[in-house]
Amino acid sequence: MSRYVLRRLLLAIPTLLGITIVVFALVHLAPGSPGAGASSLRRPTGRGAEEMRRIYGLDRPLPERFAKWVSRVARFDLGESFVDHRPVSERIREALPNTLLLNGLALLLALGIAIPLGVVAGGNPESAFDRLSGAALFAMYSMPTFWAALLLQTLLAVQLRWLPLYGIASDSPPRGLAGVADRLAHLALPVICLTYGTLAFVARLVRSGVAEARDSDYVLSARARGASRSQALWRHAFRNAVLPLITLLGLMVPALLSGSVVVERIFVWPGLGQLYFDSILARDYPVILALSLLSAVVTLIATLASDLAAAFADPRVRDGAIS
Amino acid sequence: MALGVVILLWLVAAASPLFAARSREIRLDERLQAPSAVHPFGTDDLGRDLLARVVAATPISLAIGIVSAAVSLIVGFAVGATAGWFGGVIDLLLSRVIEVILCFPVLFLLLALAAFLPPSPWTVIAAIGLTTWPGDARYARAEVLKIRELGYAHAARTMGASTPRILIRHLLPNTVAPLIVSAAFGVGWAILAEASLSFLGVGLPGPATSWGGILSAAPNYIDEAWWIALFPGLALFLTISAYNLLAEGLRRAASEGGGHA
Repeated sequence: MSRYVLRRLLLAIPTLLGITIVVFALVHLAPGSPGAGASSLRRPTGRGAEEMRRIYGLDRPLPERFAKWVSRVARFDLGESFVDHRPVSERIREALPNTLLLNGLALLLALGIAIPLGVVAGGNPESAFDRLSGAALFAMYSMPTFWAALLLQTLLAVQLRWLPLYGIASDSPPRGLAGVADRLAHLALPVICLTYGTLAFVARLVRSGVAEARDSDYVLSARARGASRSQALWRHAFRNAVLPLITLLGLMVPALLSGSVVVERIFVWPGLGQLYFDSILARDYPVILALSLLSAVVTLIATLASDLAAAFADPRVRDGAIS
Repeated sequence: MALGVVILLWLVAAASPLFAARSREIRLDERLQAPSAVHPFGTDDLGRDLLARVVAATPISLAIGIVSAAVSLIVGFAVGATAGWFGGVIDLLLSRVIEVILCFPVLFLLLALAAFLPPSPWTVIAAIGLTTWPGDARYARAEVLKIRELGYAHAARTMGASTPRILIRHLLPNTVAPLIVSAAFGVGWAILAEASLSFLGVGLPGPATSWGGILSAAPNYIDEAWWIALFPGLALFLTISAYNLLAEGLRRAASEGGGHA
């Protein structure tokens, strides 16, 4: 077990190094480098350009610039935004809670619905429920997020006027309980749009795992020893299906963030996805660098954590039978 | 059935030149008209017939999807098969590269590449191909590892076959089934990726438009013209569903046939 943990941790080091190289390359190999100025009309030429390159350290060789950048980032110095000259960390801190709220709710909702759905469908393969939910999940799996968002907006916000079209809260939000209701109403559509894709993915995964385990000897013997049908499904078959799910939880972080870009843009939600998209359009390199680095490092930590959790959950690895 | 939809799509794409002129005809006196007998899908903000635009966009969406999926598949299978076949240090190194790219949200990389490189269809194709190959590589690596354990490669080796010969004569034919399955899933995904980029406004440069490009106008008219959102999205949804269904059918067929016939 400890050998497995050690190996996994050691392998994360080159991955981390690779992440920093990709992030650095992303910006420094792009045409229109930071030294080119905001627009080509104001591009400094001649001695001015040399001066500018010197000030920004662009005259130094690439490896030296890379080392300098890494050492700054390691001290959590992310620089300041080209757009409003505020520290990048401040802009991220403002957007982060909005994105966490959106994605946290979406993930909880997705797992909360997908797991029971998958277990019931997998427990009764080829039943009417399995076929119906299978078709619905397949449709959700193939439906582009932005199309679902547009249709839901048209139906629930424009036609029926049940929910607000976009935004994070009303312009002058009511106080107290009504204020909470206002926030929830604004959350509903973006959360639905972020949820259904993950839900479909997880439910299909759980379903196939449970359906496979259902016919196995150990589920049969559990039934023979007197376990009820639902006990056999949940305590025995589901446990088998949960391992691949735990392993994949970490990789859901980047998937959710990708979805966040689209959803936050459509619903004008001031989160990290919106910030990233705006920074791309404005070529705000310090913010782009910081956000890609942050998301990749968080994913790395999440995959590491889910791999270790899967190892702890798997008795074969836990007891050192396989490493 | 999925195959039927895919074939139908190809027929629509082949017939699309007939609609090209009509899809570009701007008639401001007919802007934002609801679906009718003359305009079954309604008209857009410039009075262009939406049906003609959706049909004219079909070959563009399909072509970009298929070519980017091919790029991703070729890079992915080359890297994945190399890692799986040679193992050792090569596998360790290539697996780190795959892991590094999988750590980034796909759309973050896609947006950066599509926005920083000069706008052209090739940029979109390169961006999609270069960000999605790690998934194919993981799949290919697992398949090759499986094949390597099967013994016939070993048997060929003991009979004196060279490494290139084993790779081409024995490995390649046995990766055809997973390759086709990956390709079908890949096309669905690539069409979605292109549509997302075009919807966000960093996809194809005008005037050629994909379904995502038509949809990018929809949010501006959401309270007066729902048909701009509905019909191009429906085409997108049906296409992605068809390719995904096709891929699942092929995967089932491949696993029932034993995978290495």
